Amino acid sequence: MSTNNLKTASIAAAAAGVVAQTADFARAQGADELLAGIKSNSAEKRTQAGFSAGKVGAPAVKALAKVMTDDNLEVARAAKRAMWQIVRYTGRPGTNEERRAVETELIDLLGDEQLVAVRREVLWMLSEIGSRRSIDPIAGLMKNENLREDARMVLERIPNRRAVAALKAAFEAAPEDFKPNIAQSLRKRGEEVAGYPCRKLVPKKKTDVKPL
Amino acid sequence: MKKSNKLKLNRREFLAAAGAAVSMPYFIPSGVLAQPRRIGANEKITMAHIGVGGMGGYHLNDMIQRRQQGQVNIAAVCDIDKNRLINAVKTAGPGVEPYHDYRYILQRKDIDAVVIATPDHWHAVQMVHAAECGKHVYVEKPACCTIEEGKAMVAAAEKNKVSVQVGSQGRSQPEAYLAHRYLVNGNIGHISRVDCFHYPSPEDNNPVPDSDPPAELDWDMWLGPLRFRPYNQRYCHGVFRWLLESGGGQIRDRGAHVMSCAMWWMGADGTGPVTVEATGTAPKQGLWDSAVLMDVTYTFKNPDWVLTWRQMPNDKLPKAEERTGNEPGGKISRPGYGANYRGDKGEFIHWGGDGGTWAERKARQWELPADGKDVYKSPGHKEDWFNGIKTGAKTIMNIEAAVGVANLCILGNLSYMLGRKLEWDQANQTIVGDRHAQRLMSRPQRHPYHL
Repeated sequence: MSTNNLKTASIAAAAAGVVAQTADFARAQGADELLAGIKSNSAEKRTQAGFSAGKVGAPAVKALAKVMTDDNLEVARAAKRAMWQIVRYTGRPGTNEERRAVETELIDLLGDEQLVAVRREVLWMLSEIGSRRSIDPIAGLMKNENLREDARMVLERIPNRRAVAALKAAFEAAPEDFKPNIAQSLRKRGEEVAGYPCRKLVPKKKTDVKPL
Repeated sequence: MKKSNKLKLNRREFLAAAGAAVSMPYFIPSGVLAQPRRIGANEKITMAHIGVGGMGGYHLNDMIQRRQQGQVNIAAVCDIDKNRLINAVKTAGPGVEPYHDYRYILQRKDIDAVVIATPDHWHAVQMVHAAECGKHVYVEKPACCTIEEGKAMVAAAEKNKVSVQVGSQGRSQPEAYLAHRYLVNGNIGHISRVDCFHYPSPEDNNPVPDSDPPAELDWDMWLGPLRFRPYNQRYCHGVFRWLLESGGGQIRDRGAHVMSCAMWWMGADGTGPVTVEATGTAPKQGLWDSAVLMDVTYTFKNPDWVLTWRQMPNDKLPKAEERTGNEPGGKISRPGYGANYRGDKGEFIHWGGDGGTWAERKARQWELPADGKDVYKSPGHKEDWFNGIKTGAKTIMNIEAAVGVANLCILGNLSYMLGRKLEWDQANQTIVGDRHAQRLMSRPQRHPYHL
């Protein structure tokens, strides 16, 4: 590369860096504005803020997750809806980087430090946009009694062979009472499972209401 | 995979499972997976009712009248709300067995048919299970909540040779016949656009926090296939309609009526749109999340026409036709929804589209000429179903047609939720070019409440 070309390349790289930093800054600023709107006492302002959430994207995810547990029920609901807005916006075709960034933030929210309600919601968000990167963290929750059924269903939905492998591994390790659930997912994904026949037609709850 | 079967099957149960032509092993109590019984023309059909509140209560009362007329027996009622079940037993009278779990009904060989009027998220699962047990089915509309559910319903009805009628009863109304006949005889020329109108979905004006479910309600079975969440009073009863996951808002609740008429009258059953684009406004508070106002455009090709669904403020709705009340259909009691059919020679409007369907005067007054084209006149929605059960004839709102209509509603909601236009491949029953949207064509279901 000639000196001139090198100079041009460095200027272009620096310019690209500035553009990216500017975009990051704008998004961070957008996240602050979004959070302020979501926490507003005005239902109108919360709704308007929610509409803008998609474009703010990944920088807002963790902060919104925190607000999902707000004491104000409507503020908490607005935060949850804003997170869904982000997931649905970044799921559109041709947005791999954006989606990856949001997925990374969501995976971070699956940890034990989060409330079950938050993790359950995040699991279902990952069911829509999760890639193979999400599979191990989701599969890890198959050991959690409060979250294993959601984790199973979410893995069932992620169209990746690794998700099937994770279900198989979970099946082997699962306690007897949960094996039929995983068998259901494996069959749905076209796998043969020995034993644990489908129980969907087996009635189990009787009534004490008497006929006349 | 390690073979391990801890279940104890008795010989009869095992044989039933082994003999079933299914792709997965089933644990099946004896008596299920039976072929439907042949029912003679003058024989009574033995019914059971699954879900007996709301529309389920209406169906039970309707069937009691038919019992008095000697058309049917009523063998069982079922509900997961104990209060509703107690009321249904009192209403139905002696000889009717109450159940909490619908699967006991499916085991009974003496029951020919079931009426399913549960929340929408149960329709597909219960219809498929009933068909697999050889029961004919009347299932409330909308047929299904996902594209995958619809496919399973069509397959189950076909495989098990049961008659299915979906509760979009607008097709069976007397003035629907008049409207259909008027339109297919070219009175407004070539129709290239149908604009459906409806008042908005409600917002939750009384939001409350989650709480324990009431003692009479089995929350686990109410949720059924849906993912678990704590109970909230604003989920049920009835108001499940305003949640995208279960009811889907006005577009699924009434769209399954108004767009059912459109597909029937346009001769479009079995076809589907090529694109779907929706916008809408979200509720500002509360649990419900269906679009309040909504604007959906469906584009059809070969033949080319456009169908729209609009939830609009009440003051924007078309004015209902004045009637004296002495007409056979009486006054228009549901002016808040219907559709405007736009042809190259004129327009035609109808109101309602469900149990009340009112056609514009010009269609009611029009007389079929000798060389005119007549259309099928339903003897009544239930009568049409009974005929299907006894003769094998296709019902007026058969499962293929109903799934086609439900798919319109589902795709409209998906486009709204995702905020983008969707392309639909009718032949392959799939969304094209959008992997995220494709994932939403199905929804994993809780064990063991699955298709």
